[in-house]
Amino acid sequence: MREYSTDRLSTYWLNTFVPADRLSSTLFALADPTRRGILARLATGDASVTELAKPYDMSLAAVSKHLKVLESAGLVSRGKEAQWRPCHLEAKPLEAVFAWVEDYRRFWEQNLDSLAKYLRSIQGKRRREARSPKSERNL
Amino acid sequence: MNTTPVIPADEAVIVMTRIYEAPRDLVWEAMTEARHVAQWWGGPGFSNPVCEMDVRPGGLWRHVMRFPDGHELKMNFVFVEVDPPRRLAWREVGHAERKGGLPSCLITVSLEDMGERTGWKMVARFDSIPERDAALAMGFIGPIAASNDRLVDYLRSL
Repeated sequence: MREYSTDRLSTYWLNTFVPADRLSSTLFALADPTRRGILARLATGDASVTELAKPYDMSLAAVSKHLKVLESAGLVSRGKEAQWRPCHLEAKPLEAVFAWVEDYRRFWEQNLDSLAKYLRSIQGKRRREARSPKSERNL
Repeated sequence: MNTTPVIPADEAVIVMTRIYEAPRDLVWEAMTEARHVAQWWGGPGFSNPVCEMDVRPGGLWRHVMRFPDGHELKMNFVFVEVDPPRRLAWREVGHAERKGGLPSCLITVSLEDMGERTGWKMVARFDSIPERDAALAMGFIGPIAASNDRLVDYLRSL
């Protein structure tokens, strides 16, 4: 059983479980509430590690580990200039996640439209049959 | 008609609701009898060369869906809950062998009797880890997008 809870974050765990393929690594990065919190903060503007750590009861080192996961998923980039190396949100990897749910939604919307249309057609057929009881059709 | 998916941020489910202009017994029949399902499943341009349903808990639903471009997707489901005409639940079997295609999950459809109309509610509950995470991630991306104009523009441009 994979464990996402932040207090178990360790290098071993990262090395073992960070998946290789892109969508999986995005999803993995998003699956942790602390990391989602960091991204939500970065959505309002760039921030330093110290600023990002403020709302959490954890060490700067622990926050840095979360940032590494986000960086390796391509969700966060670090500024080169200045000592504080501001963290910056990169939205691009979210595209694949978005596309995934969009595909799902599209399939079901189409499927349900199709069912609605089919229901109309069999109801129409049955009404016509009710008016002409000799019909052999038994839809 | 519009089907708005609801994706809660804290639960790995996608919920879709819909109202059909047909009595509940008919909706149930259309979704549980293979001869009907084969007529509508997939939508316009799709066909269903195989649709065999053994509608009882543990029963199999063997299905082959043909896309408009001719390629076929084999789907094998197992019925988990059958409570006519109220609830039908199924999940995909053998999805580990499948690459791409639709995500795997437990799908539960509940039908609400509204006289000449029927309320349809589908809950897709994800259990495989990447798909569960994707559902959770989507619940998250909504609010984050709302707080960031640049991100909103970006997601719109996709």
